Amino acid sequence: MELKEGLRKWRKVLFVIAVMILLSPFFAWAAEVVGYAEPLESAAEHLGAMEHEYAIISGLIPDYTIPGANPYASAIVAGIVGCLIVLGLGLIMGKVLQRK
Amino acid sequence: MHIPDGFLDLWVCAVMYIISAAVIGYSAKKLKGKLEAPQVPLIGIVGAGIFAAQMLNWPIPGGTSAHFVGGAIAGILLGPYAGCLSMVSVLTIQCLVFGDGGITALGANIFNMAIVDVFVGYGIFKALRRYNQDVSLFLAGWIGIWLGAIAAGVEIGVSSIFAYGLMTTVPVMGIWHGALGIIEGIITMLAVRYVLIKQPDFVPLPKEVRG
Repeated sequence: MELKEGLRKWRKVLFVIAVMILLSPFFAWAAEVVGYAEPLESAAEHLGAMEHEYAIISGLIPDYTIPGANPYASAIVAGIVGCLIVLGLGLIMGKVLQRK
Repeated sequence: MHIPDGFLDLWVCAVMYIISAAVIGYSAKKLKGKLEAPQVPLIGIVGAGIFAAQMLNWPIPGGTSAHFVGGAIAGILLGPYAGCLSMVSVLTIQCLVFGDGGITALGANIFNMAIVDVFVGYGIFKALRRYNQDVSLFLAGWIGIWLGAIAAGVEIGVSSIFAYGLMTTVPVMGIWHGALGIIEGIITMLAVRYVLIKQPDFVPLPKEVRG
């Protein structure tokens, strides 16, 4: 009950999170259009390190894209899944750290 | 700014894991038994918001860009210890579920984004808010991410894959993220203001765990 009340109080922030998730496909598309690359990749390319990049764990949703699915729909699913897991993990941490 | 597997030398990975584990352990110890019921959901809510915001890559013409990181916001809203744990959960899920940031580099990524960004951002806010709250929020977001990026530049720059190119990696990371960090600073200011205005009953964590 307390938890539900706690989350209800944050509904405006939760709404903003939902909006960001819904906007993620547009950002994914726009990033593709401009050729998004981070400074870390520029440094790696400059020093010839790029070919050494790999992923030991590529995860259930590698690079926020469900293999074979539409990448824009994937972004929304990835956003929902990621936010729910982080929220859940944070709630568990909060419970563990709560004054008994 | 998420370092993938393969970029860092083994000893760098190990050192960063040890430092990060120590800070996480210390943060958890500081917080243990200190959260009241209304504060229990805060770590998760702030983490979820940061996770969503990190998915939005800034589409800057030319392509060299970044996305929001949010360590300073976590540190300011939750205090450095809970802010650190919130960022750790974001970075760990990004690594394990989405392959964003390597598992071998997780200690380094946590150090850069969940420790440097969080503690520096919090420290700047705390030191400067008495002069001007908006300016302190902007500088917290900007300098927090800038120093986090420089830390990443040092970690890759002392690694063999980057040909020990410290003199290249630190300027590339520092100059680019120093410029892009202005956006991080603006978002930090707006987001914290939004929370404080929209959540007038926002119950921050007890003063003793906000440092």
